[in-house]
Amino acid sequence: MKKLLTSILSIMLAVLVAFGMTACGGGDDSTDADGNTIVKIMFHVNKTSTEGQAYLKRINAFNAAYKDEKIKAQGIFKARTAGASGYETELLNNQIEGTLADIITFDAPNTAAYAKSGLLYEISSLIPTSEQEKFFSLNKYDGKLFGLPIQESSAGFFYNKKMFAQVGINVSGYTAENPWTFEQFKNVCAQLKNAGKTAVDMRIDATKDETAPYLLYPFIYAAGGSFTDSTGYTATGYYNSASTERGFQFIKDLITEGYTSYEIGATDFFTGKVGMYLSSGWTIPDLDNKYKDFFANRDDWGLLPYPKDVAAASATGSWSYAITNNHHSNKEPIVKLLNWMTSAESSKAITDATGMIPARRDVQNDYAPGSPEYTLLKQLELSGRERPVTVAYPTFSTTFNQVITGLHSYSVATLLSTATNTLQLEMNRLQNLA
Amino acid sequence: MLRTTLIILAIFVALFVGFVIYDLKTAKRRRETYRTKSSITAYLMLLPAVILAFLFILLPILYSLGYAFTDYYLLKPNDINFIWFDNFKNFFEELKTKGTLYNAIKNTLTFVVGVVPLQIGLGLLLSLFVNRPGIGSKIFKVCFFAPVVISLSVTSFLWLQILAAGENGLLNSLLGVFGFPPHDWLRDPKTAMPCIIVLSAWQGCGYQMLIFLSGLSNIRKELYEAASLDGANIWRKFWLVTWPGLRSTFVYIIITVFIGACRILTQPMLMTGYQDHTVTLSYYMYQQGYTFRWVGQSSAVALIMTIFIGGITLIQRRIFREKK
Amino acid sequence: MDKKAIQQLPNFRPNKTPVKKTVKEVVYHVVGIVLSLIFLFPIIYMLATSTKSESSYAAGLGSLSMFLPDFANVGTMFENYKSVLVNYDIWKYALNSFLYAAIVIVLNVIVNGLAGYVMAKLRFPGKRLLSFMIIFLIVVPVETSIIPLYSIVKIMLGLKQQMTVIGVILPATISIFNIFLFTQFFEGIPKEYEEAARIDGSNTLGVFAKVIMPLSKPIIATVAVFCFIGVWNDYLWPSMILPSADDGSWPLLPIQTALMDIQKQEGITTGEIMSSLIITSIPIFVIYVAAQKYIVQGFGTAGLKM
Repeated sequence: MKKLLTSILSIMLAVLVAFGMTACGGGDDSTDADGNTIVKIMFHVNKTSTEGQAYLKRINAFNAAYKDEKIKAQGIFKARTAGASGYETELLNNQIEGTLADIITFDAPNTAAYAKSGLLYEISSLIPTSEQEKFFSLNKYDGKLFGLPIQESSAGFFYNKKMFAQVGINVSGYTAENPWTFEQFKNVCAQLKNAGKTAVDMRIDATKDETAPYLLYPFIYAAGGSFTDSTGYTATGYYNSASTERGFQFIKDLITEGYTSYEIGATDFFTGKVGMYLSSGWTIPDLDNKYKDFFANRDDWGLLPYPKDVAAASATGSWSYAITNNHHSNKEPIVKLLNWMTSAESSKAITDATGMIPARRDVQNDYAPGSPEYTLLKQLELSGRERPVTVAYPTFSTTFNQVITGLHSYSVATLLSTATNTLQLEMNRLQNLA
Repeated sequence: MLRTTLIILAIFVALFVGFVIYDLKTAKRRRETYRTKSSITAYLMLLPAVILAFLFILLPILYSLGYAFTDYYLLKPNDINFIWFDNFKNFFEELKTKGTLYNAIKNTLTFVVGVVPLQIGLGLLLSLFVNRPGIGSKIFKVCFFAPVVISLSVTSFLWLQILAAGENGLLNSLLGVFGFPPHDWLRDPKTAMPCIIVLSAWQGCGYQMLIFLSGLSNIRKELYEAASLDGANIWRKFWLVTWPGLRSTFVYIIITVFIGACRILTQPMLMTGYQDHTVTLSYYMYQQGYTFRWVGQSSAVALIMTIFIGGITLIQRRIFREKK
Repeated sequence: MDKKAIQQLPNFRPNKTPVKKTVKEVVYHVVGIVLSLIFLFPIIYMLATSTKSESSYAAGLGSLSMFLPDFANVGTMFENYKSVLVNYDIWKYALNSFLYAAIVIVLNVIVNGLAGYVMAKLRFPGKRLLSFMIIFLIVVPVETSIIPLYSIVKIMLGLKQQMTVIGVILPATISIFNIFLFTQFFEGIPKEYEEAARIDGSNTLGVFAKVIMPLSKPIIATVAVFCFIGVWNDYLWPSMILPSADDGSWPLLPIQTALMDIQKQEGITTGEIMSSLIITSIPIFVIYVAAQKYIVQGFGTAGLKM
């Protein structure tokens, strides 16, 4: 027994020492032994993922291009995990330690909270206006620029072409340039319903995370509604306004009229049971590859834009780059890396890997008019509206989900009054935090 | 951080030394004798556990409870100020509005009241069921324990399929055979919590079965034989022999299941998300701390919960002890 | 027929006839099988899904066929397993988990065993404070303490890069609940064993190593199994502190954290996810089945008095 214990202990010690030997002892200086200026950039994905590999390639290209200027970019990859946000914890602890990377990636709705807490460095004057204008959207808070998008996302209604043909519905006139109206949308739903089909999966059951808010907020903008004022500190009078109510009422009507329901299974559209499916661009590869038995090729499915009412609105927003407020005061090499990573060339390389939409208008694309990618890009260009910019975004998202679930049993007015109160309370608290 | 930690360490050591002196002084009155050598050996043998427990259990708990008195906002880790009882004031003010927090407390109590008897009852029944020789019962024992080791995300996904609304939900299609209309189990405020209670009891009762089994293995066979000779039937045997024999096991189980039930978090999170009709106190705490970033507020809830759970546990221990 | 009449029937003899006994056995096993199905359905589902392609999985959702394997494509039933094992290097992560678990089990048994022994058998001033602390630490909720724990490991102890492995292992080596279990178990060991060893000239540590530990196989097995399950199933904490798989060197992530990453890979099918879950559940089941007898004994002898 004793012999066994000592031998196991010595093996363990050896293992621990081995780990210790390989551990990095390097400091956090901004220059390395060869006199290169080190610029650190932290990503929210795994290095081994296709997206991570695309970033890595761009970093290597940067290092090759800036060899003579002695600037060296170094990528740090920290995948975000489920549950408590590992990525955000890492960011904050790096901030305490003073080892925060020079550039970080972050999810667009966090702009306000991160900017206000001083995590991000203002770049309004560092990025020329002519350059800023090339982006579909910018990460602004309080009128100041804090981040540039890596790539863009947009959503729309995937539809089952075979089913539409069978029912005799023609939707060829509804394009991103000329979207359908709320009424036309309901008409299509009615036709599908009359033919005995489930009309549309509005994803009203996807209320456990950001899915439902991300996909459904454009309906409220389309109805002329809004969520907060421009400061992001007032919800009363916006979130519970008559137009906002009308937007949510439209969604509720779709439920009460039997066009959509909470009961639609997550894969029902993919197995031909549902006519339309509200989702983001990431569904495109799934339809291309995963469900060959039901969708053999792109003749079997298409993508329709968001319907409009008093205005056209569509979903936008993905992850962005930002320069951090760390102790490196010389931001010049850091801005060079930021410009490199957000250039048209990088934008193309990264979106080619991820299948998302480029963040810039000047990126060459070869999307055929009418193709799903083309619809998403055009829609983004013409009607993309970002989610409300507020420090209280997490509470907004939570209350939005509660309203969508609540449509099941309560009236829109009741739900919005509770949601507005909750959000306003949180905003007041955050304003007092200052 | 290091400074605060050293202060905590100093307080901890001082407290311990104080207790040691107190124990030494009152030793005579308590008719206790301490030998120096044996005491030093004891301290040395405790040292690794004490160091590790201090660093990785006590310190994080004290920090997180200490945050309850500060305005720690997750995004401002370098700017933490003491605001003393403001978080608790907020807690009670929010409670008064009968909003999410009120529901969280209500739902947690519902859950505890529902799941404690159900899970313990199921555990006891299963243990009685498999407590017999033969290969069959051995296999059943393994099967009943299976949900304990399968990841909660898999079982929750399955329960979502079973409880899905509409005619396609497995439970609904089963009930449909008997002519019941489909029901939206998890969105109906009346049925959501009961569903979560049932699935939690199902998930956990295998573990209680195991512990009851170990309690049963301690009961001597002669007692049953004696009862048989007296002509006792199966019920009388249970009340006369099994039940008294399981007493200490039962106390242990009721306390641990109660503590676990008070902390229910994962099931509502995976089954319904943050909704008023299923939110629990732990979930509220989690959401405040991680999603809304109010670490201070979240810690205040943790502190209140700790006091509540600790108080009830002490009461439970007292009740069950006095009966002895 | 009333009760008396039944009792007067010639072959009425309660619980004694072979026929009645067989009926009872059959009923028992049928009930047992039904109950087992109720507890096993996630596994049945996982097994069934692991044999399916994405379309046939989606088609079966919401009906009973989600619990049946894809008999139509018997030839390709194990495709998912093959692709998971070939494409995602699961064995590397599994090996990591085994290594972490082995270290944690050994340290955990030594550290908590020693503490449990002291609490059960030795008298020293300050004991009552420690007993109180043990109960207190079992009771307090730990959900919020992960943020300070992270700061302690990363900032105070300064563990970075590969060294964070220590941050995964060390916190798992201390378990208040295991101290409690050991204490309860050791209290049940009669004094005579120790006294005999003391007469032979052993010191306290010697008594612990030579007398107490060999007598404590059931509780050691119990603690080891729960340590193993704990380390094997933990994903949140390692994912927070370990560096993610980089540059082709040996990855440090344990199996569940790697699984979380794998599940997020683009293009992975549900069938592949389920096969990976099945593969990673096998060790837990094998170890549980093997150690089950000891666990019952361990808890049993411990007596578990709160």
